[in-house]
Amino acid sequence: MKRAIMNSTRFFMAMALALFGLATVSVPAAQALTCSVTPDNIPITFTYHGAQLAITGQSASTDDLVVTITSEPVDTALRNYEKVGGLVWMKKGSLEFKDAPRVYLLSSTAELTRILDAAELNQNLLGFDALRGQIRIEDSKGNPADGKWFDEYLKFKKHENVYDMREGAIVRQHGENGNTYKVDVAWPYQAPPGIYKVNVLAVRNGKVVERASANIEVKSTGLVAALSKMAFDQAGLYGIMAVIVALLAGLGVGAIFKKGGGSH
Amino acid sequence: MYMYLPIALTSVNYLVVMGLGLAVGLLSGLFGVGGGFLMTPLLMMVGIPPTIAAATDANQIVAASASGTISHWRLGNVDFKMGLYLLIGGFVGGAGGVQVIKLLRATGGADFLIKMTYVVMLGGVGSFMFVESLNAMRKTKKASAAAASAAAHKEKKGGFFAALPMQTYFEKSGVTHSALVPLFLGTFVGVLAAIMGVGGGFLMVPVMIYMLRMPMHVVVGTSLFQILFTCIEVTYLQAYSNHTVDFILAIILLVGSVFGAQIGTVLGRKLHGDQLKILLSIIVLAVTVKIVLELVMEPSILLSYAGGH
Repeated sequence: MKRAIMNSTRFFMAMALALFGLATVSVPAAQALTCSVTPDNIPITFTYHGAQLAITGQSASTDDLVVTITSEPVDTALRNYEKVGGLVWMKKGSLEFKDAPRVYLLSSTAELTRILDAAELNQNLLGFDALRGQIRIEDSKGNPADGKWFDEYLKFKKHENVYDMREGAIVRQHGENGNTYKVDVAWPYQAPPGIYKVNVLAVRNGKVVERASANIEVKSTGLVAALSKMAFDQAGLYGIMAVIVALLAGLGVGAIFKKGGGSH
Repeated sequence: MYMYLPIALTSVNYLVVMGLGLAVGLLSGLFGVGGGFLMTPLLMMVGIPPTIAAATDANQIVAASASGTISHWRLGNVDFKMGLYLLIGGFVGGAGGVQVIKLLRATGGADFLIKMTYVVMLGGVGSFMFVESLNAMRKTKKASAAAASAAAHKEKKGGFFAALPMQTYFEKSGVTHSALVPLFLGTFVGVLAAIMGVGGGFLMVPVMIYMLRMPMHVVVGTSLFQILFTCIEVTYLQAYSNHTVDFILAIILLVGSVFGAQIGTVLGRKLHGDQLKILLSIIVLAVTVKIVLELVMEPSILLSYAGGH
């Protein structure tokens, strides 16, 4: 009886210690995941050559993190090279890449396949293999195209700097402000104007446990916006302006050279 | 150093683009070609989408050819009458060529035919000019004999052309032809240029030298005059129908090209006609080799935006 009482006392003490331990461990987990992008508004002016983004926030120290920047999926048509007559490479047909984001930039604290289950990667569209499952590729007749074209599409987008994966690029800090993270992203100037979504996912035991997000707006401003608008809304006037300016520039420089003694 | 282009939606190093304009403008002033066959691929290499590269190139050629035409006109090198006939023919041929290409595209396999026509024409014209001008340069010591032979050659050719109606004397060029000849040749070049998607300067120049027998320096000035009007038409149509003219890119290019065209004109005055011909033929042959290599070598990326040559 005495032994039974001793055992139950030990059991309760162990339980109390375990609960205390859990409470101690869960303190960082209580720190909510946050996300902030600086700058979150990127104006396109004549001197625009991309931007340097800093994505920062707070997270639980034990969680791994994945940050993605993507656009809404769109359909993109591209010409594809094929060998003609067994000799020459030519743009032969066209392929439609359906439901493909214009931009896909991913950063993480560690290698994706090490921190997340395969199902979780696909469900959250994390990594190029997950994108392969989402993007549908069709030829000009609407038939599904060979899977090799996804690899070519990836090469094409990486070459344009709009698709990139940097595993291990997120830096974590533990200081007075709690547990913070930061990742610097070079925003490519090739990305068209639009609204882009930044998603931060906290990962624990192979699963996504928390999410936070922010938006980035990339927008033409001033004369860049005015010229772009004019080219589409007043195309005739735009064409006449382009011709007149070119003519005046050509004739003007011709006149300058005349003064320099260009004639017989 | 960088400038954002509102229609191409990309950023470029404007010093590099200005340098491209200068180099191609120089060729334009020297040889009377628009340089589209060089400029469009160069612009694509700096990241400009193909359709915008081709349309904007036409816009900058308006400036370069205006600059070149005015300086050649001052030197007495523009045969306006001949230019006008070629221009009318070119407009008709261009419109016809566009219809031909529509028909070809509908039947399929047109791109292969276009590319092959391009390579054969460039290679053929380049080789012919190279051999011909090399022979002419070898014979410079016997200049008077060569002149006599050329005159005899003229007489022989004159037999067929002389039989045609509407004989006209072209004072600046010092030749007499039926007005139908430049009209027909202009149409022929216009059709080919439309099929190949290029301005046609590199075809028009040899046609003027070898078929219309115009002096080399007048050929350059007259070709630029004709190119000026063709490119005005192309710029307007591309801007109006396809929204593919990037005005800012054109301005950066033309800053380089208008100066290049002037320098080219001055340089051209210091070179003999045969030297000009052999230089042009070398450039045309180099472009042909580049196109052939591109055709037979597997591209590093097998996808591309639509458009371009």
